[in-house]
Amino acid sequence: MSNGKDFQPKIVAFCCENSGWLAAEAAARLELGYPEKVELIKLPCSGKIDVLYFMKAMEKVDGVMILACQKENCKFLKGNERAKSRVLQTQRLLKEIGIEEDRVTIQYLAANMGNKFVEIVQNMYDKVRELGPNPGKVIK
Amino acid sequence: MIVAERKPIDEILGFLSKHQKIMLLGCGGCVTVCLAGGEKEVGILGSELAMARAKEGRPLEVVQRTIERQCDFEYFEGIRHEVKDVDAILSLACGIGIQTVAEAFPDKVVWPGVNTKFLGVNQNVGVWAERCQACGQCVLDKTGGICPVARCSKSIFNGPCGGSQHGKCEVSADTDCAWALIHDRLTRLGQVDSMREILPVKDWSHSRDGGPRKLVREDLTLESGK
Ligand code: SF4
Ligand code: SF4
Repeated sequence: MSNGKDFQPKIVAFCCENSGWLAAEAAARLELGYPEKVELIKLPCSGKIDVLYFMKAMEKVDGVMILACQKENCKFLKGNERAKSRVLQTQRLLKEIGIEEDRVTIQYLAANMGNKFVEIVQNMYDKVRELGPNPGKVIK
Repeated sequence: MIVAERKPIDEILGFLSKHQKIMLLGCGGCVTVCLAGGEKEVGILGSELAMARAKEGRPLEVVQRTIERQCDFEYFEGIRHEVKDVDAILSLACGIGIQTVAEAFPDKVVWPGVNTKFLGVNQNVGVWAERCQACGQCVLDKTGGICPVARCSKSIFNGPCGGSQHGKCEVSADTDCAWALIHDRLTRLGQVDSMREILPVKDWSHSRDGGPRKLVREDLTLESGK
């Protein structure tokens, strides 16, 4: 879909403080840039994410993501698995009201992966830019 | 607890199609525990409804409230002043709560947001099973604490029937035969001989067959009424 060159998606990235958040700090130390309309929100574990947080965020942004520890590597054992099931549930809710499920995603990385962090965020940004503005946005 | 499940989103959106501002009302009782209509479900459904309507270009304002219980009149007093400003109330309580909302706000349109399923137990995360049909005259004393009314597919009182196979009910392989459960439990308790006693025909007038039921306890009633 083409949405005009000017569209700059807003994205919220919920970050586990043991992986995604530290990877963002690693990216900053490496002076790597990523799109400025990506807002990071720190969580104590990816398992803290909730369908409710995703849905409330989706009322005002174009895409949401959760950055979790690599599989088998969650400090709280199953937080990343729980996060994954909440992503799936959010995707189901969006789909039933006709909003693209790709606007919600989970990605896995480790604390030292500054480059990977930027790659993940940039990929999501590009994908959401391709999808265009969230048609269900409530708060413009 | 009373177990309920959210209605399909299209059905709910259909109810609300003519409204611009509604109150989405959760209940802090059973539907909070069974994850169908508590504060969190109000938040999630509120977002979903608002997004669905924003997408159609017909915004819906959703006032989100959750009260202690919807099956007691006093808890509505705290929201009465806000109810007058909405077109309708979408209740996520069980059928009892929904009817109490309608009775408390006689001039307001009230929509059901859930399907009330049964009286049951939470067996596992996301799994509930029926346990009681509120028959009005409990026989659990005679059946080892396992209900033949709600858990036997045929509500047989002197089971099992001929369809009981390896502990499962002939109606569905997923369903335990209630009478096999009763037999096994009475055996464990050393009371299996009690199964020789023929249970009399049940007096269903204590159940729905006697029409809608009402309970009045003289020891509790006040002259002033409600
Ligand atoms: S016998 Fe009646 S009251 Fe007792 S558990 Fe069964 S349905 Fe409920
Ligand atoms: S198999 Fe057991 S539970 Fe099923 S109808 Fe017969 S007695 Fe009832």
